[in-house]
Amino acid sequence: MGEGIVRYKRDVWGEEVILGVSWDLLWVVAVAILVLLAAHAIIMAALANKKMEKPSDAGRRVLRHESIDRLFHWVMAASILVLILTGIAPIIGLRISWLNIHWISGLLLTFVVTFHIIRSLFWQDFKSIILAPRDFGEPFDSAKKPGKYSFEQKGMHWAVTVVVLAVIVTGLLMFLQIDSPFWDRTNSMPEDQLGLVFLLHGLSTLALVALASAHIYFALRPEKIFYTRSMISGWISEDEMTANHDTSRWSPKEAD
Amino acid sequence: MVATSHDVMPDIELYQPTDEENALALANTLGADGWLVGGGQDTYGWLKDRNKNPAAMIELTQIDAWKGIKEIADGIEIGAVTTLTDIANNPLVQSRYALLATAAGKVASPQIRNVGTLGGNLIQDARCWYYRRGLDCYRAGGNICYADSPEGLNREHALFGASRCVAVSPSDTAPALVALDATMVVASSSRERLIPAQDFFVGPERDIVNMTVLNDDEILTAVRIPSTWANAEFYFEKVADRNVWDFALVNIAASFKVSGGSIEDARIVCGAVECTPRRLESVESAIRGQQRSEELAASAGEMATEGARPLNYNHFKVPLMQNLVKRAIRG
Amino acid sequence: MAYMHIGKDFVPPDVAGKVTGRIKYSEDYTREGMVYARLLTSPIPHAKVVSIDASEALAMEGVFGILTADDVYPDGEANSTGLKILTNEPTLVGEPILAVAAVDEKTAETAIAAITVTFERLPFVMDPVDSLEEGGPDAYNGGNTFVFREGFAQEKWTSDQVASFRAGNEPTAEPAAELSYGDLEAGFANSAFVYETPFTTAGYPHMSMEPRSAMAYWEDGKLYLHGTSQSLTALADGMAGIVGVPKEDLVFINAATGGGFGQRARAGSIPSMAIPAKLSQKINRPVMMRCTREEEFTIGGARQGFQGWIKLGFKQDGTMAAADLWIVSDNGGKGGGGDAFSATNAISIVYQAEAVRFRGVSIGSNTAHRGAQRGPGENQIAAIVSPILDKAAEELGIDRLEIRKLNTPQTGDVGGINRQPFTSAYMPEALEQAATAFNWEERITRSRQRNGSKVTGIGIGQGYHNAGRSGMDGIIMMGPDGRLRVHNGVGNLGTYSYASTSRAAAEVLKMPWDRCDVITGRTDNHLPITSPQDGSNSIFTNTRTCFGAAQDMLAKMKEIAAADLGGDPADYDVSNERVHQIADDTVGMTFGEVAQRAMELGGKYTGEAELPEELAEWTQISVSRLAGSGFMGVYHDPRHSNNPPGFTVTCTEIELDTETGKIEILDMVSIAECGTVVHPQGLKNQLVGGGVWGIGMSVLERHLYDPQNGLPASTGYWQSKIPTYLDTPLKIDTGWVDLPDPENPVGARGVGEPSMGSVSAALNAAVSDALDGHVFNATPVTTDMIVNHIAGISEEWVPLAQNNFRG
Repeated sequence: MGEGIVRYKRDVWGEEVILGVSWDLLWVVAVAILVLLAAHAIIMAALANKKMEKPSDAGRRVLRHESIDRLFHWVMAASILVLILTGIAPIIGLRISWLNIHWISGLLLTFVVTFHIIRSLFWQDFKSIILAPRDFGEPFDSAKKPGKYSFEQKGMHWAVTVVVLAVIVTGLLMFLQIDSPFWDRTNSMPEDQLGLVFLLHGLSTLALVALASAHIYFALRPEKIFYTRSMISGWISEDEMTANHDTSRWSPKEAD
Repeated sequence: MVATSHDVMPDIELYQPTDEENALALANTLGADGWLVGGGQDTYGWLKDRNKNPAAMIELTQIDAWKGIKEIADGIEIGAVTTLTDIANNPLVQSRYALLATAAGKVASPQIRNVGTLGGNLIQDARCWYYRRGLDCYRAGGNICYADSPEGLNREHALFGASRCVAVSPSDTAPALVALDATMVVASSSRERLIPAQDFFVGPERDIVNMTVLNDDEILTAVRIPSTWANAEFYFEKVADRNVWDFALVNIAASFKVSGGSIEDARIVCGAVECTPRRLESVESAIRGQQRSEELAASAGEMATEGARPLNYNHFKVPLMQNLVKRAIRG
Repeated sequence: MAYMHIGKDFVPPDVAGKVTGRIKYSEDYTREGMVYARLLTSPIPHAKVVSIDASEALAMEGVFGILTADDVYPDGEANSTGLKILTNEPTLVGEPILAVAAVDEKTAETAIAAITVTFERLPFVMDPVDSLEEGGPDAYNGGNTFVFREGFAQEKWTSDQVASFRAGNEPTAEPAAELSYGDLEAGFANSAFVYETPFTTAGYPHMSMEPRSAMAYWEDGKLYLHGTSQSLTALADGMAGIVGVPKEDLVFINAATGGGFGQRARAGSIPSMAIPAKLSQKINRPVMMRCTREEEFTIGGARQGFQGWIKLGFKQDGTMAAADLWIVSDNGGKGGGGDAFSATNAISIVYQAEAVRFRGVSIGSNTAHRGAQRGPGENQIAAIVSPILDKAAEELGIDRLEIRKLNTPQTGDVGGINRQPFTSAYMPEALEQAATAFNWEERITRSRQRNGSKVTGIGIGQGYHNAGRSGMDGIIMMGPDGRLRVHNGVGNLGTYSYASTSRAAAEVLKMPWDRCDVITGRTDNHLPITSPQDGSNSIFTNTRTCFGAAQDMLAKMKEIAAADLGGDPADYDVSNERVHQIADDTVGMTFGEVAQRAMELGGKYTGEAELPEELAEWTQISVSRLAGSGFMGVYHDPRHSNNPPGFTVTCTEIELDTETGKIEILDMVSIAECGTVVHPQGLKNQLVGGGVWGIGMSVLERHLYDPQNGLPASTGYWQSKIPTYLDTPLKIDTGWVDLPDPENPVGARGVGEPSMGSVSAALNAAVSDALDGHVFNATPVTTDMIVNHIAGISEEWVPLAQNNFRG
């Protein structure tokens, strides 16, 4: 049913319409991300001895993530991982009963993302995540330190935001096309539109796979792992803060 | 351009191996491009309509090792390319496993049974007409089901276990073999798998494009029926629109061990209500140890359809299935 | 009357060929250089062809050419309903767009797969009632109905009117057609029992075993067309016009046909045979076109389905006082027929209703072509009315046989909306004979008896069709060998009527059958025009012509004998293949001698002079070619008056399993009332074959279209559920009244169609009986409907759905 990025099929009257993304791309993405991350790891290892000392995690602790946000993060992370795994299972030929888990996780993701959007708009410091023009200079000037979030973190966040929203919107549209406990399917979406939705869902899935891989990789890197710890326990040390952040632009309260 | 009715064989390679090794090697080499042919009753429609376009056919009916019915240590073994007529008429099957003989004798028509094989009847593809028409539906790897919709023609479709695809298991022998606790012998050039009949079939929630767990390089070579249910009390009934040359609207295959009017053990399986033969385990355990009676049959019937999710035009399958379960238990 | 041939079994000359397989159907022929054509048909239910790109296909090796609608209609397609040869404006999935000729069928199909046709999709409709609704889609380009001589038109109802009809009420819209007699209002006012209901009947294909394949080639300016037909000359006559070839230059060859059932009677219902003819002309090679089963179903056509409303009133004594029908007929994608009116007419005739009104409209749907199918109208309605009649009988406390007897038509009665007298009508005798054969008195006591999960149902039904025409021609020839050659244009449909009608000529001349040759099978055998072999008319119409032609020859024999041997022609008679004096049979001539003498005399004796004036053009051509070659009897049959009916009565006993919804037919008896029986074995075949058809209509057959996208779901015998040998009783008992009709020289009338209607009526009545009188008001009544009814599930019966039998 077609090669390349897009797979095509015949609609009910024999005309060619989009079926979805070509899942061969999954392997392309997997290999590409593996190569990139491996390259990054090698470069970082080569540069390691020139690096300055790792800041201490001892001493005063400041609060980086409130417990509710940490909970959100991990629920979101879990649901995305489950969505990716269950979505990919049938593609790689794993015979598991994946669909119900997939849409339930999808609904969970939709719920927590909605929660996060509302919370971030009204209760969190929304400005701290906004990508400002000055942020783009950050990677090129080691003297420039970020506020709460680094340029890379903001970039990752917004990339994930776009991709997750795309995957949620298309996912919900696809959810409407199957039977669920809440409705019976209607076949009301024209096949060409349905194909487009599948394509966008597939493309955003591929992007999400790439982003999630990169995110996990960076989260596990030794120089960044304190951020991961903060996503678990909430705090970073004052030392870690001053080493990586401009305290004039981010002054967190002390951790409990 | 999709023409609506090709109805002529395309160019295709035909392999006619005469021994197992060759056949398995071919299946291994050709993989998804090699189409296994038994009696061809599920094959030629697909190929002539050009709705499936494999590069080659591997005809299995010349392999004597996969043909015939023989006694083994525990029960019997039936070669996968044994014809349905041979099974229906076989004295051994008739005397010990009459359930299978009856079921095989109810398949399609005498002409089809004369060439149709047990293997073919078991692994035949879904009969949903939308799918058979060559539409790119879920089962064909697409992203839509035309049958499960407010106006879709779904009178013959599933009550249970639907997941996007609502096609049903069309086989008459499959429920019988599940009810007899048979084992499928599946071979590839590298290994042999023994799969309980019940696990041989797969529903759309786990695999939407295949009806069985067979991999591309594998061939169903035989079916073994253990002596566990030999000479049990059997019940097979197929309700179809027509009495010849039709698929079941609902069929039922049941094995009972009865002593003094009391059901000691039972296996009850319905076909054409789900993508796989549906074993009614809750009914089996509910009737185990019970005296056969009209009341027991009626309550078992009710129980059988718990969780059924009828589509727009197949509500009738609910009472029909209930009645068949009732009749089986009533004996 | 003691006949020599009439009423006696014989072996029709085609039987040996059919048993041995030696007889040739159209696709059995071959010709040097013959290539194969295949069709590209529309995948879309309603569309316009924007462009065709066949360049890749035409460049393939082994591809010889392509034929499109532009080739066959250089001046554009007619703006009318009716099947086209090929079209750029398909109105159903499966309508032929183009044909490709190639060295073999596989290559042709591969070429077709490489052709790109760009379509403009148009709104489509599967259910005529959807089209009736304001704003609803129309099946045709220019409307949803076709008015004769006026063109396309739109019939639209308000949404309220549609909703009310769908809810089961009498339609309030203005009908396109309204015809009536009697005082309907008074009829219902005088009724003790009035039954009013919506109803539906399914339309489905004709299921001919032989698809409409054809082979054609041109030689010396003549078109040789091997085809399939139920009416040899009548079809060839029209086919010449469709292909655009002068009648004298068309040789239509058709020795045997594998079923027609109405859809191969006239050329207009099988214009696809022009495709190989035109393609052969274009590429100058013989072209064979074999049609697929799916194509046979789509362009082969189907019965008209009904969505209707019926109201019947019965007086206290059981007399049918009034019948009121409003029928929306499904005209399909290419126009339909007049089933609805015929249905109403049949009620008037069979039940002698005192007041009848017909209202109706025929609306297109983008489904199979619709056309006449075995008892078009009469048979659908027979199955609907019979259970209602039983309901009336039950309510009024009358026996079910009795209510039919007291409403029966008989000789001297009139029937139909036009109040036409019967030529004769022996329905009372048929009812009596059926009741006796079935042992009605005793059987009816078993009605509704339960045996475990099974219930017995008893049913009786009546069938009717107008069964005779006139105005055709007959030709017979004799040479010095003294053999009688009956030139017969009736097609060989499997009914043997081409042979049995010829026996009327043998009867007149008292010829032993083994001294007779039926000359038929191809039009260059010089055949007379006959009525299309449809409407159960062949035996009536063509025994008249064969009898007439033989009378002509007999008169000429007597003239020649009298002239040569003395005396008056009236002094002569024939016997033992001699014409001789009645007084002294030694004075005479053998048929061989008289034929020899006729050929010497020439003129009117050999068809060279004094021909009947009204001979049809086709007959004239044949006579002119035969003229001078032998002794000729030739005849033009004048018109008869009044309605020669064909009647049947069927009784059946069934067992209905209330747990599975399955029915088993335990016993079935069908009695024919078709005047004098000409060929008992042929009649028996008609009764049994019609019986199988009736079973199909009542409880099995379907032709499903997906409402979502207009695709046909029934594309083969499996999906269509034609009855199989285990769905039919082991034996259907038959019998016949065998009383002569005065309007036919041998007393015969036809019966092919009613044989189905009475079975369908009886079976539906029996199913109702087994379900305590529940009336489904639909055909077919299928397993799922019965199971649902018993379980009290109502969701699945879609009121007025075009076809309640969902796939």
